[in-house]
Amino acid sequence: MSKSKTLGWHLFLIVICLIAVLPVVFMLSNSFKTLRESYHSILQLIPLHPTLSNYKTLMQEVNLFGLIWNTFFMATLVTFGKIFSSMLAASAFQYYDFRWKKTLYFIFVATIFVPFTTIMIPNYLVIAKLNLLNTVVGVVLPQLCDATGIMLFTKALEKIPASLLEVAAIDGIPRWRIFVNLLIPMLRPNIISIGAMFFINSWNEYVWPTLILKDKNSFTLPLALQNYISSEGGTNFPLAMALSSIMIVVPLVIYILFQRFILNSISSTGLK
Amino acid sequence: MSNSKNKLIPFLCLLPAALILSIFVIIPIGYSFYLSFFNWNLIAPTKNFVGLQNYYSLFTDPINRKVMVNTIFYVILLVILNFLFPYLISLIVKYFIKKMQGAYKIIFFIPSLFSLVVGAMVFSWVLNPVSGPMAFILRKLGMTLPNWTNSGVLAVVVLCLITSWKVFGYNFILLLTGLGSIPQNIIDAAKVDSIPRWRLIWNIILPLNKGVSIYVLILTIVQGLAYVFTPINVITQGGPYYGSSNILYHTYLDAFVLYKTGNASALAIVTFVIFLFLLFLEVRFVERKEASYE
Repeated sequence: MSKSKTLGWHLFLIVICLIAVLPVVFMLSNSFKTLRESYHSILQLIPLHPTLSNYKTLMQEVNLFGLIWNTFFMATLVTFGKIFSSMLAASAFQYYDFRWKKTLYFIFVATIFVPFTTIMIPNYLVIAKLNLLNTVVGVVLPQLCDATGIMLFTKALEKIPASLLEVAAIDGIPRWRIFVNLLIPMLRPNIISIGAMFFINSWNEYVWPTLILKDKNSFTLPLALQNYISSEGGTNFPLAMALSSIMIVVPLVIYILFQRFILNSISSTGLK
Repeated sequence: MSNSKNKLIPFLCLLPAALILSIFVIIPIGYSFYLSFFNWNLIAPTKNFVGLQNYYSLFTDPINRKVMVNTIFYVILLVILNFLFPYLISLIVKYFIKKMQGAYKIIFFIPSLFSLVVGAMVFSWVLNPVSGPMAFILRKLGMTLPNWTNSGVLAVVVLCLITSWKVFGYNFILLLTGLGSIPQNIIDAAKVDSIPRWRLIWNIILPLNKGVSIYVLILTIVQGLAYVFTPINVITQGGPYYGSSNILYHTYLDAFVLYKTGNASALAIVTFVIFLFLLFLEVRFVERKEASYE
């Protein structure tokens, strides 16, 4: 492999890195520019006259802390619900024998392939019938289970040696204690990586909340951001970018903290 | 422990997942199927039974036909941008360079963390024909950026680029992991025989990586069509004149904007059947190899 050729490949890959990252960097930069400055110094990466005016305007126009809280609260509920329901189901599939086990597992996992538009109308009708439109519960309830989680936890449990559990069972330790004190600590890396992905996905969730949340007080961050984007042109980009910059902080922090866990387990997962 | 208690435990463990999945996924498929035989507007107390009329109109109604053609265009673009391109890059990273592989992985993945609403907003700035940086650079070079929201074809290209910005790193890592699971001794043996690198890749590596690549290919179609929903809704709402709509987006438009529940449900069921077919392909070609990409 010649040196110059390798260098050429690296240059090519660095260009791709720039395409991946530059839009976000410019977004941060523009959020500290006035609308005027953003027009007149388009390619200026470091703002000439950095200003917090966009963030101040946002604070006046929207209930920023309410938005952050709504998004955080829903993402937390969804994440815990998905982790809880998938771990329980996975342990049933891994440690018990029952009739139609394989068929049931296949049906569960196959639900990953069901397009959301196929189930959207009936789900909307159910949530409306239960009087849950515009509520947190209405958004969260249909999302409390995710077959991706069942699949991943079942795979993770397969790797835990059965002998370990047998020893615990012989010692007469009750099942729920085996689950809490033995399985959960052993699954810690999986819980972190799967949980991080569920949380990020839910933090970014757009389609289903758009159908359920119509009242601005119950909005999440993505819905509020959508309100700042005009399809006819005339979007105030610095303002929209300030809101986006606030939005991306949480997923970025999670990524920086758990990057190793997330990337290691991605090969067998589905980050939406 | 008694036998009856033993039977109860797995049942209780499966209960939360089974309840949610059947109420919010499995039963709704059946209900959508039922609704596809009626004309309804989502609100009226009565539904009119029309038999197969809604399915028939999927192939005769010009808007429905336009949406179907668009969907095929979307799939082709998504496969190129979100499958072939990351595959090419993963081959380069795996076999043409030696250092910095970890760093590329970390950086490529960053856009996957962000909402597509953010992606749609940023790219509608980057590609804004009047005030965006791309238009600015092109103007300096004496060219103009076309107003892509006015053209169905260009809008589809941009919308696909936005999803590919988000998905690229994720698919790249999946494919790279697949390449990493190919036994090194096979590659070393080929190197000893001094086979040219492109032949090594074409004749040995690509066939060995078939399982993972088919998995990612199907994922690209299934998730790509779902992902592209968000930038469509944020930027074009399916326009100009349904030019950037696809089968998933049009289901939403019919159901919640035009209140044509019957047509929406027929589209929903057709989408389901297509995805079911892709699931069948996945099971046929990938599941047997599942254990190999860990």
